[in-house]
Amino acid sequence: MARPIEHLEQYASQMPHCETKYFGTAVYEDSAVLQFPAGLPGFESEARFLLLEQPGQRPLAFLQSLATPGLCFVTLPALSIDPSYELEVAEADLDLLGLDGRSPPRIGGELLCLAIVTVAETGITANLLAPLVINTRNLRGAQAIAPSRGYSHQHPLGEAEEAPCS
Amino acid sequence: MLVVRRRAGQSVLIGDDIEIQITEIGPTKVTLGIKAPKTVAVMRAEVKLTREQNAAAAEAVPPDSLAKLASALRLR
Repeated sequence: MARPIEHLEQYASQMPHCETKYFGTAVYEDSAVLQFPAGLPGFESEARFLLLEQPGQRPLAFLQSLATPGLCFVTLPALSIDPSYELEVAEADLDLLGLDGRSPPRIGGELLCLAIVTVAETGITANLLAPLVINTRNLRGAQAIAPSRGYSHQHPLGEAEEAPCS
Repeated sequence: MLVVRRRAGQSVLIGDDIEIQITEIGPTKVTLGIKAPKTVAVMRAEVKLTREQNAAAAEAVPPDSLAKLASALRLR
C-alpha cells in the first residue's frame, strides 16, 4: 500500500503505538497484539504483548508488554538453542492456546516456541524448562512449563560459544 | 529429608493445618490433594523456578551484551 511519504508521520500517529523498553516508540497494528490470557508466572496481569525483531539482532525476538513499557523479555527460538527441542504442553496451556490437543503440539506450522533469555553477571542463560508457546493462528500465548523433559530453566548460552575450539 | 511410605487415600500432616493426601498412584505419577490455609502459597516447584527466572529475565539487559549474543548465535 503506497502512501505519500509526507503523510507517513500523520498516518503513524493515528495508529496504536506504545513505549518500549529497548526501541523507543513502536507503532503496531491491533492485529499484531499477542494475548497471554494467564499472563506469565510472576507477571500474571500482563496479558498483551508485542513480539519485536531488530534486523541486526536476529534470531533474538523481544516480547514487549503493552501495559508496562519497562517490561520486555529477550527471547530466542527454542530450536535455535537445541535443534532437537521437544515441546511439552500441559492440558491447561492447550486450552489457553486454543488448541484441542487431538494431535501432539509441534513447533513449526502454527506454533512458535521461544525461550526467555536471562543476562546475568554469571552468564547468559535461556529458560528451556518453561518456553513461551504462541499459536500464530489466533495469536494466543502461554508460558508452557514442561517439567517431564528434564530441560533446565538456566540453559547456558553465550560464553560456551565464545570459548575457543580445543 | 523425611521419607514416608504412603498408599493411595492416606495422607501426611504438616503442622496443624496442612494436609497432603495421596489421591491416586499411576505408573509414572502420583496425584496429590493439598489442604492448606489461604495464607500458605502452594505451587509446583517448577512454577516457582519459572517465576524467579522471569523476574531475573525482566531486568534490564545491556544493549552490547545483546549485540554480542546475537552475533555469537549467527556465527554458530
